[in-house]
Amino acid sequence: MPVDYNELKKGGFLKQKQKDMYSMRLRSIGGNLTAEQLRSVAELADKYGRGYVHVTTRQGVEIPWVHIENYDRIQREIRALGLTPGTCGPRIRTVIACPGNEICNFGLVDARGMAEILDATFFGREVPMKTKLAVSGCPNSCAKPQENDLGFVGAVEPVYRHELCIGCGLCAEVCPGKAITMQDGHPVLETANCLHEGNCISSCPVDAWVPGRQGYHTYAGGKIGRRPQLGVKVAEFVQEGQVVPLVEAALQVFKTLGKTHERLADTINRVGAEEFTRRLHQEWAQGQDDGQWEEAANS
Amino acid sequence: MSEATVKEVLDITGDTCPITFVKTKLKLEQLEPGEVLEVILRGGEPLQNVPRSVKSEGHQVLKLEQLGDGRYKLLIRRGAD
Repeated sequence: MPVDYNELKKGGFLKQKQKDMYSMRLRSIGGNLTAEQLRSVAELADKYGRGYVHVTTRQGVEIPWVHIENYDRIQREIRALGLTPGTCGPRIRTVIACPGNEICNFGLVDARGMAEILDATFFGREVPMKTKLAVSGCPNSCAKPQENDLGFVGAVEPVYRHELCIGCGLCAEVCPGKAITMQDGHPVLETANCLHEGNCISSCPVDAWVPGRQGYHTYAGGKIGRRPQLGVKVAEFVQEGQVVPLVEAALQVFKTLGKTHERLADTINRVGAEEFTRRLHQEWAQGQDDGQWEEAANS
Repeated sequence: MSEATVKEVLDITGDTCPITFVKTKLKLEQLEPGEVLEVILRGGEPLQNVPRSVKSEGHQVLKLEQLGDGRYKLLIRRGAD
C-alpha cells in the first residue's frame, strides 16, 4: 500500500526511524485531559504501542511504536473514544495555555477558555508554514507566549484612587516592574515601567488600586529552533471577543507577506516589526468594517 | 484612624509558601472579628502572596513595615465571619 506521508502527518501520525513504525500524536484542549481520556490513552498505548506515551512540549501525548497496519483501527478507536489528534506540517498546531483565572491566583484572563476557542477556530488549518499559538493568563507567561508565532498574555492596567489609600506601601513592594514608589506616604506610578501585572490591584487592602484597561497583550513572531527569537508586542489589551479576529488578520498578513517555508518571525524580520504591525492593524480594522468577523467574535 | 492593638504575633519567616498563607489564615480564624494579628514575614514570595490571599478571605491589611534584612511586619485586621 503506497503511503501518503503528508496525509498521515496531517492527522498526527508521525513516521519513526524504524520501518513501518509511527507515533500517534494526540492533543489536549488548552492543556486539560480528563481522567477518562487518560484511561483511554493508556488503553491505546497498551493495545497499539509499547505501553507508554511521550508527553510533548505542546501539552500533548504521543503513542510511539504504532505499526502502520494498525492505522485505520487506531484512528477509529481515537474517534470513538473522543480523543483529539494532533497535527504536523504546515498547519496551525495545538494551541497551548496555562490554567488561567479558572484556578490560578495570578490569572487575569481565562487563558484556558480562550485556548479552547482558538483551538476550535484554528487548529489544523493549512498555513504557509507551521504556526504555533499560546495563551497565558498573566505576564508570568507560563505558557511561553513569546516563544510562539502568536502569543497572548493577560494584562491589566491599574488605576489609582487617592481618596481610599491608607499608605501601607504594599503596592510598591509587590510591583514586579518596580513601577511604584511611595512619596509622602502615597504611591506614585511610573507608567513606563508598569508591566500590567496587577499585583498592586490584588494586594491593595482598600481597593485604592482598581483595574483600568484589561485584555490580552499580543506577541507575534516567536520561535525557537536554530535561531531562537522572541515575539514582538503587536497589540495591547485586546478584548476577548477580538482575539479571533486579530488572529484571522495576522494569518491573512502572513499569507500575503510570507515567503515559502518562512516562519512568521522571518517575515517580521524581513518587513520590519513596525510595518508588520501596521499591516496587522489595517487588516484587523478592515475585518471589522467588512463585518465578516462578527460571527466569529460573537461565537 | 486609631492605633490598632495587636492581639497576636505570628512569625512565618521560617516557612515556605503555601504554609505561610495557611498559618496566617488559621491564626486569623482564631481571632475575633476586628482583632489585629501581627505577622512577621520575608519579602519576595511571602509578601507577594500572603496579603492578597488574606484580602480574598475577607481580612484587611492595615499596615506594612520594613524591618530590614529582608523581613517585613504586617498588621492584619480579622474580617467578619
